[in-house]
Amino acid sequence: MATDIGNELEGATADEALPLAGIDGSRALLGSLGIVVFLGLWHVAALFQPAYVLPSPLAVGETFYTEAASGEMTTALGQSIQHWLPGAVVGTTLGVAVGIALAWSPLLDDLSAPVVRLLRPVPPLALIGFAIAWFGINNAGAAFIIAIGAFWINFYAAYGGVEGVSDDLLDVARSLGVEGDLELIKSVVIPAASPEIMTGIRTGLGRCWMLVVASEIFGVPGIGRQIFRAGQNLQVDGVIAYILVLSLMFLLVDTAFRAVQRRVLQWR
Amino acid sequence: MNTARSDSRVRIDGVSKHYDADGGVVRALENVSFDVTDGEFVCIVGPSGCGKTTLFRIIAGLDDATDGEVYLGGDRVDGPTPDMGVVFQEYHLFPWRTVRGNVAFGLEKGDVPKPDRQQRVEELVELVGLAGFEDSYPKALSGGMKQRVAIARALAADPALLLMDEPFGAVDAQTREMLQTELLEIWAATGKTVLFVTHDVEEAVKLADRIVVMGKEPGRVDEVVDVDLSRPRTRSDAAFGEYYERVLGLIRGE
Repeated sequence: MATDIGNELEGATADEALPLAGIDGSRALLGSLGIVVFLGLWHVAALFQPAYVLPSPLAVGETFYTEAASGEMTTALGQSIQHWLPGAVVGTTLGVAVGIALAWSPLLDDLSAPVVRLLRPVPPLALIGFAIAWFGINNAGAAFIIAIGAFWINFYAAYGGVEGVSDDLLDVARSLGVEGDLELIKSVVIPAASPEIMTGIRTGLGRCWMLVVASEIFGVPGIGRQIFRAGQNLQVDGVIAYILVLSLMFLLVDTAFRAVQRRVLQWR
Repeated sequence: MNTARSDSRVRIDGVSKHYDADGGVVRALENVSFDVTDGEFVCIVGPSGCGKTTLFRIIAGLDDATDGEVYLGGDRVDGPTPDMGVVFQEYHLFPWRTVRGNVAFGLEKGDVPKPDRQQRVEELVELVGLAGFEDSYPKALSGGMKQRVAIARALAADPALLLMDEPFGAVDAQTREMLQTELLEIWAATGKTVLFVTHDVEEAVKLADRIVVMGKEPGRVDEVVDVDLSRPRTRSDAAFGEYYERVLGLIRGE
């Protein structure tokens, strides 16, 4: 009975072998060239400015090395991770969970819509008062700020993803014996919305690195604190060196998460 | 693969579906009644707008009737039930699951032990001719193959009734013919009762023991035609042509 299946599949799988975009050599070359040009322009510009306005890339590299070698950079990074990680985990988990719940239940959605609209535009930094009052000037307070940022991104991503789940798939699942909201959410809604949820998580993780700086504005030690201190002392090379740490962490986490994402979503 | 339920009679009893629209009440279905006996292959045909799909969804328990009841093996259908294997025109496979995962879906909720489950999935994949493609994702499958997966998935929990809504409407003519033949083979092998909605008269005459011919405005049963032809059936056959003309005439209201 399976006579013509081979032919059918041949046609169907042809488009599966799409080349991985963006990995070809010419692109990497142009990218490297871009970096060199950027550093060159920076270097030239720095020649005409005092170091407290714009240090040269070499000076920044030197500072980066000194700070890293002295252990100060690793300490600061470790401190920042202590609020980045819990903030990202809590904010992501809650954001995804609440987003799914509100998009799934019209009742919850209607109940919460006004409150959501009221709270949504509040920038995480505006909540610093709460962070201090509820948690104090410590990791928990900073994690709170970061969690708020992660929450909204993940909330909207999950909400949109769940809204887009096809009713037909839910019908199929029901006709195959899936009963109850929790079972449907587990077996259909979450996997069907997983592309949007994963995109939300990824965007959120990046946003959390940005919020690390903001979350340390009220005195919690970490990378952000180092940036403020260097700035106050007019050590712009230090400012840039620590910004670089954030960029590198962002890049590291983003690359790792993209690998996970590609694996989890290989069915797409 | 014998039916778990000994009794798979279907009874559609006075089903009506009305809903409000701008211009007043739309009578999508009006007092639709017919029976399907155990192991029978029944096709529902009718012009578009006759309420075939509405009727399909009501029988499947996915929509409520305004009036009337559907019975499966004597029990009233009041919601989706794993006693019916439902197949839709657009396949609706779970894209995140492989062929194996899709077929196994309906078996995961019950108390089927894992080894039995796996064996059952292998059997079904074999039955629909997809051996070797167990680990493929739907995106890599053609329309015909997707519909084979959907049929295997619908059969997994050993339903009493296979309920299909224009299942071969989205594939090309050649694949459709192949799938029709395969469906008849599966029907013969499993002894399932099949209720099959289509707008294609030729398909109905090719497949059905009986054809329920529907009319529109309001959606209703016009006539039930017994197809007394031996299988396999060919459309070049004179008797086939007579049935075809007769059903087509009924649909056109001649």
